[in-house]
Amino acid sequence: MTLNFLELKGLHKKFGDITALNNVSLNVSKGEVIFIIGPSGCGKSTLLRAVNWLTPPDKGEVWLEGDIVGSLSSKLTIEESKLLNSFRAKMGMVFQQFNVWPHLNALENVVRAQMVVAKRNKAESEVKALKILDEVGLSDKINEWPDNLSGGQKQRLAIARSLAMDPILMLLDEPTSALDPELVGEVLSVLRRLVNNGMTMLIVTHELGFASKFGDRIVFMDGGEIIEEGIPEKILKTPKTQRLKMFLEKLNITSFKQ
Amino acid sequence: MKFDISYIIDALPRLFEGALITLQVAILGFCLSLILATTITIARTSLNSKIFNTIIAFYISFIRGTPLLVQIFLIYYVLPVFGLNLGPFSSGIIAITLNSAAFVTEILRGGLASVPNGQFEAAKSLGVSGVALWRKIILPQTFIASIPPLVNEFTMVLKATALLSVITVVELMRVSQQIYSANYHPVEVLSATFVIYFLMCFVVSRSSAILENKLKVKRA
Repeated sequence: MTLNFLELKGLHKKFGDITALNNVSLNVSKGEVIFIIGPSGCGKSTLLRAVNWLTPPDKGEVWLEGDIVGSLSSKLTIEESKLLNSFRAKMGMVFQQFNVWPHLNALENVVRAQMVVAKRNKAESEVKALKILDEVGLSDKINEWPDNLSGGQKQRLAIARSLAMDPILMLLDEPTSALDPELVGEVLSVLRRLVNNGMTMLIVTHELGFASKFGDRIVFMDGGEIIEEGIPEKILKTPKTQRLKMFLEKLNITSFKQ
Repeated sequence: MKFDISYIIDALPRLFEGALITLQVAILGFCLSLILATTITIARTSLNSKIFNTIIAFYISFIRGTPLLVQIFLIYYVLPVFGLNLGPFSSGIIAITLNSAAFVTEILRGGLASVPNGQFEAAKSLGVSGVALWRKIILPQTFIASIPPLVNEFTMVLKATALLSVITVVELMRVSQQIYSANYHPVEVLSATFVIYFLMCFVVSRSSAILENKLKVKRA
């Protein structure tokens, strides 16, 4: 049996009466780019957040490079939480609402976690931060406060902040959904670079065009379950299930209207 | 009876000495109150313990539901019963701290509520947790959001120290009483006291405006 890079085994999660994840399993190879699609409330964000234990599942396991992530006990010991932090640092997460830190300028946003978590010194962290900020096209904004940045710039800053931790996996939760249409492109082009660099990524999105072009696989979820998965061509052109057909139709109608 | 300014001029040196004590008590009490309230705020969020939260809720409602004057007397007379003979100055600081911390806890609760959950999540997702999460990410944002009510609370504390005169803390009000009971010129002496209190509070609230402006420039 080959060892999977990332393995999700039988994840369950309930919020009150609502089942967000119902026995979800998924294997991801290194370098794979997987897009997760589905109607809102289908559990796709919960799935992403279960991977880095931001929303710990009720049942199930997450394995990264042969190590188990997180623990199902409600109170983590100091050792357990240290271990979890080291896993989280390896899994960069990008949020729909950016969540950049408003009390720190752009450079400090990228420096802070490097110093606190990766224990790098200030000079080292800044050199790295400047390099990454340049890569995401923010080298002229290093002293800017997040409040003065556009949505697209904030999201690129958030991506830079994650990349500074040298992640081996990126989790992106609707990274372009909160952006004005004309700002989507600049974020997608940063993501395209990551794809080209061979970054393993799980991306929750509604950008089907982007998914079909850069995805190795598309996973369709509904009602907390994975309904269909496969290469983009297959999923988008020849959906097998009625639920996926309906979902794609709805998306097509909305995008046609736009 | 005529208003004789010479009584003010004579009283001023001693009044300033009293004002210095007032400032000491207010600053010390408020700093301790900030520390206590911050600790309570962090514990309330991260412990998530029903017992602790209930105790804090009781503490806050008792402090808010009773006069500070009674609290001051109580602490002054109760502590010696337990063998703690701290004297008026320390008892006064404790009373001010315990009183103000209840209000500051409520202020910080509001400030913390203004920090979106995503700020916690972004930090956690990068592996920042525990003390660093609070110290580097959450508390700075909480305090920035709380500056106006915190400055207001400090002026309340500054004025509340006048009550400590009843347990013989030799602060501005006490000094003022000592002077006018010796020279029988309360109008002059109290007018001067009045102005000194006002000037202290005025400087504090002006500095708040400067502080806020500075942080706004930094952020927006």
